[in-house]
Amino acid sequence: MNKLPSRLLSIALLLVLGTIFILPFAWMVSTSLKPLNETMVLPPQWLPSHPQWKNYPEAMDAMGSFWLYARNSLLLAVLNVVGTVISSALVAYGFSRIEWRGRDNLFLLLLATMMIPFPVIMVPVYTLFRELGWIGTFKPLWIPAFLGGAFNVFLLRQFFLGIPRDLTEAARIDGCSEFRIFWQIILPLAKPALFTVGLFQFMATWNDFLGPLVFLVRQDQFTLALGLQNYQSMFGGTSWHYLMAASTLVVLPVIVLFFLTQRTFIRGISTTGLK
Amino acid sequence: MTRGEKRELTAGLLFISPWLVGFLALSVYPILASCWFSLCDYSVLADPVYIGTENYSELWHDEVFWQALRNTLVFAAVSIPLSTALAIGLAVLLNQPVPGRGVFRTIFFLPSLVPAIALAILWQWMLNGPVGLVNNLLRQPLDLINRLAGTSLQPPDWLNDPSWAMWGLVITGLWGAGNAMVIYLAGLQEIPAELYEAAEMDGANSWQRFMHVTLPLLTPVIFFNVIMGLIGSLQTFAVPYILTNGGDGPGRSLLFLATYIYQSAFDYWNMGYASALALFLFVLILALTWIVVRFGEKRVHYAGR
Amino acid sequence: MRQPFRLAPLAAVAVLLLAGFVPAQGADNPGKITVEFWDKWSGFEADAMQSVVDDFNKAQDKIFVRRLNVSRIEQKMMLATAGRVPPDIVNLWASNLTSYVQNNALLPLDKLAREAGVDESAYIPMFWQLCHQEGFLWALPLTPSVTALHWNKKMFREAGLDPEKPPRTLEELEEFNNILTKREPDGSLKQVGHLVQEPGWWMRDMTHLFGGSVWDGGSKLLLDEQPSRDFFAWIATYPQRFGGDAMNRLRGAFGNFASPQNPFFQGRVAMIMQGVWMDNFIRQYASPDFEYGVAPFPIAGAPAEAPATIADTDILVIPAGATHPREAMEFMAYVQTQPAMEKLCLAQKKFTPLREVSPDFIRNHPHPYIRTFIDLANSPNARPILALPTLTEYSNDLNNYVNLLMLGKITTDEARQTMQERQQKALDKKTARWNRAKAKLLAGWRSSL
Repeated sequence: MNKLPSRLLSIALLLVLGTIFILPFAWMVSTSLKPLNETMVLPPQWLPSHPQWKNYPEAMDAMGSFWLYARNSLLLAVLNVVGTVISSALVAYGFSRIEWRGRDNLFLLLLATMMIPFPVIMVPVYTLFRELGWIGTFKPLWIPAFLGGAFNVFLLRQFFLGIPRDLTEAARIDGCSEFRIFWQIILPLAKPALFTVGLFQFMATWNDFLGPLVFLVRQDQFTLALGLQNYQSMFGGTSWHYLMAASTLVVLPVIVLFFLTQRTFIRGISTTGLK
Repeated sequence: MTRGEKRELTAGLLFISPWLVGFLALSVYPILASCWFSLCDYSVLADPVYIGTENYSELWHDEVFWQALRNTLVFAAVSIPLSTALAIGLAVLLNQPVPGRGVFRTIFFLPSLVPAIALAILWQWMLNGPVGLVNNLLRQPLDLINRLAGTSLQPPDWLNDPSWAMWGLVITGLWGAGNAMVIYLAGLQEIPAELYEAAEMDGANSWQRFMHVTLPLLTPVIFFNVIMGLIGSLQTFAVPYILTNGGDGPGRSLLFLATYIYQSAFDYWNMGYASALALFLFVLILALTWIVVRFGEKRVHYAGR
Repeated sequence: MRQPFRLAPLAAVAVLLLAGFVPAQGADNPGKITVEFWDKWSGFEADAMQSVVDDFNKAQDKIFVRRLNVSRIEQKMMLATAGRVPPDIVNLWASNLTSYVQNNALLPLDKLAREAGVDESAYIPMFWQLCHQEGFLWALPLTPSVTALHWNKKMFREAGLDPEKPPRTLEELEEFNNILTKREPDGSLKQVGHLVQEPGWWMRDMTHLFGGSVWDGGSKLLLDEQPSRDFFAWIATYPQRFGGDAMNRLRGAFGNFASPQNPFFQGRVAMIMQGVWMDNFIRQYASPDFEYGVAPFPIAGAPAEAPATIADTDILVIPAGATHPREAMEFMAYVQTQPAMEKLCLAQKKFTPLREVSPDFIRNHPHPYIRTFIDLANSPNARPILALPTLTEYSNDLNNYVNLLMLGKITTDEARQTMQERQQKALDKKTARWNRAKAKLLAGWRSSL
């Protein structure tokens, strides 16, 4: 059976599709290095005549407090990662390693909450935070992370369920408290899963747009995403070289993080799908 | 309850207490509050005033709402099958021992990591009518067709044309198929090779092997992805919002339910109406998910059943 | 577990970034009261405002005004006020007032202004009136705005029209429009005489060109009346003459307003309705040999006895719940003084909302047509800008329907009737809300006097 033609076909297809998929990235970087007058010429120029590296600092300048926005995004991401990892682990442990009445029904409820769209809770949560005096602070964007996100609890629970019972039964018989079992036995075994959860949460927070849009009103608290959108709505339209430079800067940390943690990332995503 | 059971119950509840607090404050309370607000006129700067079911009857007669609903459903109905097919296709291609697999996998996966703001701004630039890359790439084949067939086809001004803006958004979404592709790839790798060998010996060609071995065994993964995709696409907000600079697109073609909820709440200060819309969206998601689950359960093939 | 260690250097960078960028907020002005001022301007208009702010900050040592550029300011201000964390001063437009007032988002300024020495007699009446709603003062005028016809003299000349003779009626404008519109060999538009959507900032108010308005000032929309019908019919003539797709393509090539690619500067649109600030932008972005004229924008039918225009003004308001209203008013009153106001308006190449102007102000004013604008502001036919309670919903709908009309995808009757129905409902809702809250709000405001 000659597999060669089909193999060649696959390679050809991969090359074509790969080119198509990478094109937007290439175009983004290419535009970011062009002077303004070269961005809108027809037919399009692939490479800038002279790469304008200065577009990057100029774009950061034009955006306003770029580093402040970056700091805010980072701060929120770190807080969210810490909160999510801790709270999801605790909650997942409760849903998996302890047998108690009503546990599985409550877990179904947890799963059901994954179907509640943010727009549904947006307005009441806004008024709730308003009453608490949290609007105008970062609190609405990180305190909820400490309350156990459904998706991450689900992920970790699956993982915890896979840890053999005998490891913990012995400790329990010896009279260990649940918390000690959690802390000293389960958590160390769960490091890869916790790492994955933290990674996903970092990406999700870095990417978050609607949350900051609704809850952040002071400009000096804007995240990178919001700051960039602010710039776009004031000066967008034709400063494409700056917009592309700024977009590249926003994407860069995510890509760097991916390359550093590729294996965990891919493994994490694969396991979510395979339930 | 025995004393042991009671102890377990306390321990269990203690461990899940963060979630319980979150559940009550950020799920139960908001849904109940939304129900109340939806029966009120509420501008947030004043207290809510009860007006009965006025918001709902207004919703029923609101042409903009129906358009938002149509857009949301059409987008889901178009983008979910397309991105599923693309993701599976890519996964099948990558499942073969071709050189540079890892590189290709990265290339396909990276776009799904791009933050919504950068994605939207990039595609706003790519889909630009006169100078966007998409149209520049389309112009040559279209010119060729025009010369051969005597037509005068032009690439559409994506983001300014009511008939094409939605398609532009679909293209934008397809670029992010890499995430699902990775999941499908993992699913493909779970399929035992013996099944393929057996099918080959029975004389099945690659298409038949795909249809009768691959697809059926992938159905659980497809099922999961379609449901997640459905819940996600019904809540589409960030990318169209940024693409249209906070608007709703030409002829309101990029107005989604989530966008309309946001507009009603924070542009028009009708939070009561926004709550009614939001509850409708919630019920819609529940209903459609239930339908898909019902439909899918019968067709999903679980290995070992 | 190699992977986490690879992240260590990254984490170190993150920690450095976090530690090094603690924002210095208010720490730069110990002992002074910081007044937060949200400004909608950007670029050189913002610079003009900042110079006045700097003057104020230097002239006294009790208050420090911190000015911020804010985009989408109407939305952000409401969000902040509703969230109970409003700034102290906001730079808005007079058209916003009704919806803010009815939603109780602003502080009534009568008492504060009186105590700060601000007096009605100092102002051109139109601009003082624009700051009032329901009998209360809600804002102080900042820089005034009146609209006029701006035309590209070179394009007139090239088309065989007398560059010194602008159209005197709307019908004449449309004749000129046809003459000035030129196409490329392939049928696409090269330039147009006039395009309603360029810049399209006053479409809500353009019904006045036909002798009417879309709103009766109370609870009724007038889209079924003749002036509105005429307005929509006028819009519909554009796709009929120029082709919807062709216009769309032409507009797609237009650049930003504040850039050399502004279509008026580039010679793509010959006549536009614009305001007094335009000269400033022409100096900054158009080529040095750009020639333009200014005249009252023509209305339909016979020319009016007194020139017609749409009058608006930038305003300074204090949101409800602001932390430092007194200090805010001190700054606002400072801006109202003749020297400060003249400095600001001169820098933005506008005239002032004040009746009295220093003798050299007009004589040495760099704007070649400043007298025309001042006359327009004082004209008995100057119309105050539409201040609908449903301003955002209405604008949203109007832009959508004008767009669809221009593309030829809808008929005028469909557009007009759908808008009348939908917007009347939206207005009814806001009217009901206002009627419910009116008594209590008015009593509250009265007690603050």
